[in-house]
Amino acid sequence: MTALLPAGLIEVAVTAPSVEYGPMLPFFVLAGGAILTLFVSLIGGDVAQRLLTPLTAVATLLAANAIFAIRLKEPDPSVLTGSLALDDLALIFDIIFASAALAVAVIAWRSKSLREVGRGEFYSLLITAVLGMTLLSSATDLVALFLSFELLSIPLYVLCASDLRRNGSLESGLKYLIIGSLASAVMLYGLAMIYGATGDTNFYEIADMLAKTPAASDPLLLVGVGLLLVGLAFKASVAPFHQWTPDVYEGAPTPVTAFMSVTTKAAVLALLVRLSAGPLAPVRDNWAIVLAVLASITIVVGNVGALRQESLKRMLAYSGVAQAGYLLVGVVVGTGLGVAALVFYMCVYVLMNLGPFAVIVARERAGAGDGLRGMRGLGREAPLLAWPMTICMIALAGLPVTGGFIGKVLLVQAAVFGDWAWLGVMIVIGSAISLGYYLRVVAAIWMPEHETASDPSAPVLAGADPAADPGAHPELIAVAVAAAALTVALGVYPEWLLDLARYAGETFIALGV
Amino acid sequence: MVQILFFIAAIGAVGGAVAVVLLRNPFFSVLALVVHMMSLSVLFLLLHAEFLAAAQLIVYVGAVMVLYLFVVSYVGGADEPIDDAGVPRFLAPVLGVSLLFVFSLAVGGSGLKLLGTRGGDLAEGFGAPADIGELLLTRFLLPFEIASYLLTVAAVGAVLLARRRRGLEPLDEAAGSRGEGAR
Repeated sequence: MTALLPAGLIEVAVTAPSVEYGPMLPFFVLAGGAILTLFVSLIGGDVAQRLLTPLTAVATLLAANAIFAIRLKEPDPSVLTGSLALDDLALIFDIIFASAALAVAVIAWRSKSLREVGRGEFYSLLITAVLGMTLLSSATDLVALFLSFELLSIPLYVLCASDLRRNGSLESGLKYLIIGSLASAVMLYGLAMIYGATGDTNFYEIADMLAKTPAASDPLLLVGVGLLLVGLAFKASVAPFHQWTPDVYEGAPTPVTAFMSVTTKAAVLALLVRLSAGPLAPVRDNWAIVLAVLASITIVVGNVGALRQESLKRMLAYSGVAQAGYLLVGVVVGTGLGVAALVFYMCVYVLMNLGPFAVIVARERAGAGDGLRGMRGLGREAPLLAWPMTICMIALAGLPVTGGFIGKVLLVQAAVFGDWAWLGVMIVIGSAISLGYYLRVVAAIWMPEHETASDPSAPVLAGADPAADPGAHPELIAVAVAAAALTVALGVYPEWLLDLARYAGETFIALGV
Repeated sequence: MVQILFFIAAIGAVGGAVAVVLLRNPFFSVLALVVHMMSLSVLFLLLHAEFLAAAQLIVYVGAVMVLYLFVVSYVGGADEPIDDAGVPRFLAPVLGVSLLFVFSLAVGGSGLKLLGTRGGDLAEGFGAPADIGELLLTRFLLPFEIASYLLTVAAVGAVLLARRRRGLEPLDEAAGSRGEGAR
């Protein structure tokens, strides 16, 4: 045997890496749950199909969420197998991902397209996307970063195309695939250049290397960082890389839109926070200003773009672009307060974005479509949907007594204290513009009914069964009401989340060594 | 010898890439891409990245490109030259040139420093198959596992999308065409 091998190879002594199975548990739960969901969906029978598969998915997400919550604030920022750090910063975002997926699993539960496409596959892909996000928020290695980025993206491409009845869905999935692949390729270029400039893929090693040598002027590194940021900006729909967002969000099945509008942004921001604490910290002066300019462009483009939208999904897509701009401010500021504001606003954003999407799904099921018109008369017809929608719109606009207000105040405060006062001004201007379209929705909801009667497009609703009132979908109402109630609760009594957010900020500072 | 090989491979790589874009016939474009890929693998070999060179040859030239050729031949793309109507003609060159500029900036700024030297200071066996294998099982175990999981997910996604081609059974109720409909 020895003779067959070239000399030198035999001496390679491979020591198995220490895999910390305990801390890795949530990832195993998610990965196993996704596979288990597939198998459960093979059990025959309509009841089994309709109940067991979603229940398995929900149980998986609940279990993962419970583990995340239990591990929170445990003083054990262990590095797992050299490429993951499941620290508190990651855990807070992980809870956001899993909770959003839970809400979406409930929203999608009785969707008809789900039966055609296969419940098992749908939920399995949903869980896998969550797994990718949780890995991304923990990644401390460029290789792990890229692969978890793909693990997040590929299920979403498929999910976007998962409504087999509509060609728009396929178009949406294809568009997302092409743009997403471009973003991945650009990012991969950037990662390769960062590796070339620093000679390592580990975040900590890169940070060490950059701290030792004045590599800040190395064009290879700077171009790499630039390409990495462009790739991430594509994913988080930061202007001017946002053009795909409205089309994809409009074409995708609404539950999927709800899921990706909040979670992909959260995942990218979690990664950006980690990058800005570690490997990118030494070159902060170079990229912070670029990101600041991008953030302000994003705020303006998103808010102005949303003004003229008739489709609520398109409007929420542009609104999501604007919100991505607000959230980026937290990364740009880069102080503990900035990260705390980012985490707080992210949590609120998930709530106040999922609420409207639950309402839109309810309207679509009632045959009213996702247009602004479909909202008319909702206030009289279904107050339990109208109130959550109203509250969430007000919260998105950042008006007081809602969590959205507190979040924006925190962001502005962080910007001002971090010497980025003009970014704070941008947030305020953006919020002022945003009133123009959020309040339009509120007006449509509470407008007197006779406006609808004179509407020439009213026959669209003619096919709608009057019996199919939104009350037939209690789970949608539950999600919408819960989201709105929590949004208000966070506006009135924000302390508990503030504590958590401040803690995240401290964790961020501690990361910066 | 190394220099000669380098220049042959470099000319092949650049020429192949240019030919992919310039040739109007998809079949020849794919063939040009094969030339490009093979030249790249020679460049990898010159950089002592034997594993990468072999992988490039086997995976891209051997599998992916042959698949492309089959597709182009079967679908009959050769009869229809690529038509780029609808996209502004100037856009692609502008993007390409700006990308070239950015990469030249990156490589010219720091890569040229090593021009006269023997390259980076690498350990013996760096990039050898044994080395890569060891890394995949130790330091990069987790990314390795993620990659394998990714393939599973891609298969699941492909199954899901294939349902669209199988055709859909007619809806049991007319109202269902609105997506959710009344139940």
